[in-house]
Amino acid sequence: MLEIRINGFGGQGSVTLSHLLAQAALENGEHGQALPFFGVERRGAPVRAAVRMSPTTIFAHSQCDLPDYVVVMSEKLVEAAVSEGISESGTVIVNAPHPIAVENHPTWQVDADTIAREAGLISGDGPLINIPLFGAVCRVLNIPPRIVEQTILNKWPNNNVKRNLGAAGKAYYTVTRISM
Amino acid sequence: MQAAQVIMVTGAHAAALAVKSARVDVVPGYPITPQTSIMEALAAMVENDELDARFIPVEGEHSALVAAVAASAAGARVFTATSANGLLYMHEVLHMASGGRLPVVMCNVNRGIFAPWTLWADHQDSFAQRDTGWIQYHCSSNQEVFNTILQAFRVAEQVNIPVMVNFDGFAISHCLMPLTVPPQEDIDRFLPPYQPEWRLDPAHPSSFSNVTNAPEYAVFRQMLSRDILASIPLVKQAAQEYKDITGMWDGDTIDTYRLEDAEVVALAVNSMAAELRLSIDILREQGIKAGLLRPRLILPFPAEDIMEALPRNAQVMVLDRNYNFGHNGGILASELKSALFGRRSDITVKNRVMGIGGLDLTRRFMAAEIRAMMDE
Repeated sequence: MLEIRINGFGGQGSVTLSHLLAQAALENGEHGQALPFFGVERRGAPVRAAVRMSPTTIFAHSQCDLPDYVVVMSEKLVEAAVSEGISESGTVIVNAPHPIAVENHPTWQVDADTIAREAGLISGDGPLINIPLFGAVCRVLNIPPRIVEQTILNKWPNNNVKRNLGAAGKAYYTVTRISM
Repeated sequence: MQAAQVIMVTGAHAAALAVKSARVDVVPGYPITPQTSIMEALAAMVENDELDARFIPVEGEHSALVAAVAASAAGARVFTATSANGLLYMHEVLHMASGGRLPVVMCNVNRGIFAPWTLWADHQDSFAQRDTGWIQYHCSSNQEVFNTILQAFRVAEQVNIPVMVNFDGFAISHCLMPLTVPPQEDIDRFLPPYQPEWRLDPAHPSSFSNVTNAPEYAVFRQMLSRDILASIPLVKQAAQEYKDITGMWDGDTIDTYRLEDAEVVALAVNSMAAELRLSIDILREQGIKAGLLRPRLILPFPAEDIMEALPRNAQVMVLDRNYNFGHNGGILASELKSALFGRRSDITVKNRVMGIGGLDLTRRFMAAEIRAMMDE
């Protein structure tokens, strides 16, 4: 069983990102689970979500205290996210405009803000970074591009199709391994 | 023949889909976190003509259950749902439903009780309704929620007793997981239309639950007590026939994991009991012969089935997500001890309360707790 924790700020779309990842696991022939932590929601407050993927039934229902992957939706949260807990050899995936390396952990970086803006994925709150981040995380997990596309098409069959697929694809091919 | 469908849904949505598959007639609803998404989904299904039922929005939980009681007495198949303080507000009407012998099915999405406020799961709310004469299931997965709601309607309508289907807020209700939805024709075969033995009908006026004298009242209460116990074989039969038709099995009155040769047995309900399977694997890797016993039914308490399942000389570690105020520990442990007393002197029972107000219960934490309890 593979465990992922998403750390972000309220309004960045972490719930949808967790749902996309769990759905992608199912599309990929596995079991998937998305377990967002719902607090007293406020825009801008730190939020988190657990995601699990497994070839067999998932029984865990806790919050991913020591995940194999930590997805950090803002570079401002890197330190806080990692200190919340990560497995000893866990990997960090960071949304940042420039390369970032986390000490003692393999780190991947993707510029989801720029990719979302360039694709025209912008809401009143700013760029819709969860779609490029979905592509980037799938690349790190070696989930095939066709699964990424299928998952997005299933979720939004008639909505922003070209922009969504473009942004997810761009992130898939530009997410970069920074360390180890 | 249609094939079963696998979809990704939350536990709350799984509950709503089961209610739709049960072809309910009436759904009175009032929102409370974390149950609200069940009512939202059902209201949308009625609105979109996917579900041919009457949705009755009301002004509070007391009224929601009163409407359910009235509709059930009129012969309808009825569902409602609530959580925490909403369930407490229904307390009086819970007795009205069970005493009136009305087969209402209700989901309680477990949430800690006010005060102070908490949004997250513990089991004080459902366990506090232990003595209201409802049959109570507790479920540990989205799939089990779906399966159990259908089994609950069947059992409720066989014994004319209301059934509460409990599952954890957020950990299940807001958790997205794969759900297998059997073909409707299979569900219809498992759960035929409700045919009440008696109902309120304006064309043939009658009254029910009227004032009684002690000799009648005592008989009604005695019958309720007897019939709650008599539901145990029907719960087993429902689980077995559901399995025969759909191929799915969550246990009947109990569910077990690696129990046969266990020396240390963890006993718990709801989502923590799913995670506990992983704790059992951790303990087994450490050389401890651990196993899991998960009651699906807590009322009636499946004492005979637990007794039969417990290996000789087992140490039972009861992990309670509730307090038995006035005692040192939780209510499950107290129920277990009362069942065992004078019958299984080989069994040791130890007990800890944990996970209150949604405190995260990881597989590692619970494995460590069980180890610590072994040394007590």
